[in-house]
Amino acid sequence: MRPGIRIAIDKIFTVVAGASVVCLCLVLAGVLGPMLWRGGSAVAFKGTVEFRKMQLVLFGRGDEDKIAAESRQAEIARAKIYSTIEKFKGGIDSEALIDKAKQIYRQFGNDLRQTDRTAEEVAELRSVTRQIRDRLESAFASSNAAEVNESLAYVLNFKDDPRFKNTSAAGLIGLAEQYSKDIHGINLAERQRYYQEIRQVEDILTELLGPAPGTATPALMMNRFGATRWDLAQKLLGQLCWYEEWIKQGPGQPMVKRLTPRSQRFAGTEIEGLFIYIQKNLPEMLKPKPTFYWQYFIDDSTPGHYFGGVGPEILGTLLLTILAMLFVVPFGVISAAYLVECASDNLVIRIIRMSINTLAGVPSIVFGLFGLAFFVLFFLPLFGAPSKGCILAASMTLAVLTLPVMIRASEEAIRAVPQTYKEASLALGASRFRTFVKVTLPAALPGILTGVILSLSRVAGETAPVLFTGAVALGPVPKSIFDPTRTLSYGSYDMAVGDKLAAMVPHNQFGMVVTLVLLILCLNTVAIILRSRMFKKLAGH
Amino acid sequence: MKRLVCSLVLLALAVTGQVRAETLQIEGSTTVGPIADAFAEYFMRTNPGLEITVKKTGSGDGAAALLDSRCDIATMSRFMKDKEFQSAVAKNVFPVAHAIAMDGVCIIVHPSNTVSALTTAQVRDIYAGKIKNWKEIGGPDAEIVIVSRDTSSGTYETFNDKIMNEEKLASNVEYVNSNPQAQARVKTTTGAIGYVGLGFVDADVKALKIDGIAPTKQTISNGTYPVSRPLFMFTNGYPKLGSTVFKFCTFYLTEKGQEIILAKGFVPVTNY
Repeated sequence: MRPGIRIAIDKIFTVVAGASVVCLCLVLAGVLGPMLWRGGSAVAFKGTVEFRKMQLVLFGRGDEDKIAAESRQAEIARAKIYSTIEKFKGGIDSEALIDKAKQIYRQFGNDLRQTDRTAEEVAELRSVTRQIRDRLESAFASSNAAEVNESLAYVLNFKDDPRFKNTSAAGLIGLAEQYSKDIHGINLAERQRYYQEIRQVEDILTELLGPAPGTATPALMMNRFGATRWDLAQKLLGQLCWYEEWIKQGPGQPMVKRLTPRSQRFAGTEIEGLFIYIQKNLPEMLKPKPTFYWQYFIDDSTPGHYFGGVGPEILGTLLLTILAMLFVVPFGVISAAYLVECASDNLVIRIIRMSINTLAGVPSIVFGLFGLAFFVLFFLPLFGAPSKGCILAASMTLAVLTLPVMIRASEEAIRAVPQTYKEASLALGASRFRTFVKVTLPAALPGILTGVILSLSRVAGETAPVLFTGAVALGPVPKSIFDPTRTLSYGSYDMAVGDKLAAMVPHNQFGMVVTLVLLILCLNTVAIILRSRMFKKLAGH
Repeated sequence: MKRLVCSLVLLALAVTGQVRAETLQIEGSTTVGPIADAFAEYFMRTNPGLEITVKKTGSGDGAAALLDSRCDIATMSRFMKDKEFQSAVAKNVFPVAHAIAMDGVCIIVHPSNTVSALTTAQVRDIYAGKIKNWKEIGGPDAEIVIVSRDTSSGTYETFNDKIMNEEKLASNVEYVNSNPQAQARVKTTTGAIGYVGLGFVDADVKALKIDGIAPTKQTISNGTYPVSRPLFMFTNGYPKLGSTVFKFCTFYLTEKGQEIILAKGFVPVTNY
């Protein structure tokens, strides 16, 4: 070949190699970058006062007095919202008003029975109040202003009636007075629409600020607090201030989205100004502060990972991984030692080798089902343990899964030990066993550790084998190896397929995945440091 | 290294000897799982010392686990099949059903779609591949992208049972593995149609009226919405009165239980 061509080929090779390295880095950055960024937001974010309240309630963290003072301040800023809505709703929630009127009427009926009036008086009073109630109800239900005013005027005629003084029926008249005040400035024809839309507003406000004061404490933790994070709060603020509609264009054409300011939907009412008030004062109401939530890595979580961290998952994954390694390393090394040192090259050994290679390619779900059938349903009951998925069964399943990798790596490592080492040992009179333990194995250890690193990553990240053998979506922190556990891998899967909660807390979903990646990175780093120290020792430094 | 291993083993042995708290094991459906999760949160908060584990892999797995006595309660989004019942009885397990909530399978489309109501027959024709474009049923000129749940899910079974009427799904149907995935696919695809549980219907997708009836809490609980289903917890025999399993399986009757079911996007059975 001419030197020119050779140089050209060399150069092309260098460029291609360089380009592929750059490509690899870009892909890594493209995949890991956004994931790390979004996962990182589970730990570092702007936390609101709701976040601090949640931390106090769930984990007893933070200064109680300070948080109480802070939430009092926030409540002062929020008070205006609730009073405005309450007042507005007074005029439009006709069902609640009708219920109230009915209740007062019933109460009055009961009260009448207690007094010493004659039967005729009682009957008369009842029929009058019934009329008042009916007129009032029609006033509540009607959307015609003239009709409403007429009914209200009829009711208010009885205002100074001595028969109703100091009785519960006076409540009906009070209701009418309140109502005539409330509906001032409300377009009654729009009442139904207002009612529905104010309900929407209230729902968003509950998500944003937590349950309204005076309402019962919700049963679930996730409903007890408002937006714990500022980014979430702003998303909700957008939903609150903009009303989304889909508008028809023409026949045969898709509809288009139209956003209108929600304040326009309530034009002319007191609610109209509320949205600007919320927009302006949201920081006052939520008090966002940069938060570094490192406890994410040790905290337990509420079901569905709505609040809290991934502590139990990390613990479970670590336990499973370490236990699996404890099983797989001895078995793997001994099998490899047999294959290299003792086995001759005959048919049986070839079949064994082929089986090991095949085993390495079997899908992990098959190992999961094998683990369920063998370890959980057969092996554990054999020793009197309950036939339930547990850490022990899961880690043994993982050990079986990664055994082929371990055997192959150890085999290569043992084979790579120079023959001269062994010969020297044998020449000194050491037995074959002693030679293997004292000479071959230490020399092969770095290579074996490579196998450990490969298996570690696989074991920590596998979902399918633990699915049936010991992982749970929700459960206590394991007390022994006979308990099931939560793991990072199964947790990520569970969040992706199960609940709608995951969509509401994407940072936790990314957080869990990133934690898994970081955990594997840490385990590998430890193993790599260990290996390099062994190399140094072997090299005689 | 050796010391680390030894201490780990010792630790494992040491904690094994501890007194065990009362435990409750729940396994089964991914649809009912969130309810079990939420019930568990409430139970564990009100009964310290009670430990509940929840696994969510599928209704069939729940039935299998109950048969093997691997769990106390199996959550299922469909009723037990004949075969499961028979093998249960053969193993001396007598499954008892507790219907804890209702769910509607909502047919959803992209919100830009002008179609807002279909009949059962039309939905069937779409999924069977007979209707291929939205304009055939009065919608925009767009090809229909059909999204279905995987055939092993309880949601699929309900849909297949109530809508498909023995007819086969078209070959170009896209299968997805979970409710969130189905919702996400429809949300991002203009011509898509899919089906999810009521809890997954939000502003990003539009739930269609079926045979003139919109899926709401009322229509689902009184059974007028055609694709409704009950959700179950199965126990081995009726649980002993007053036991934790009994309390857990009847929790849906309490006010708190109903509040939780509503909060999770399902319909309480006591809603009629």
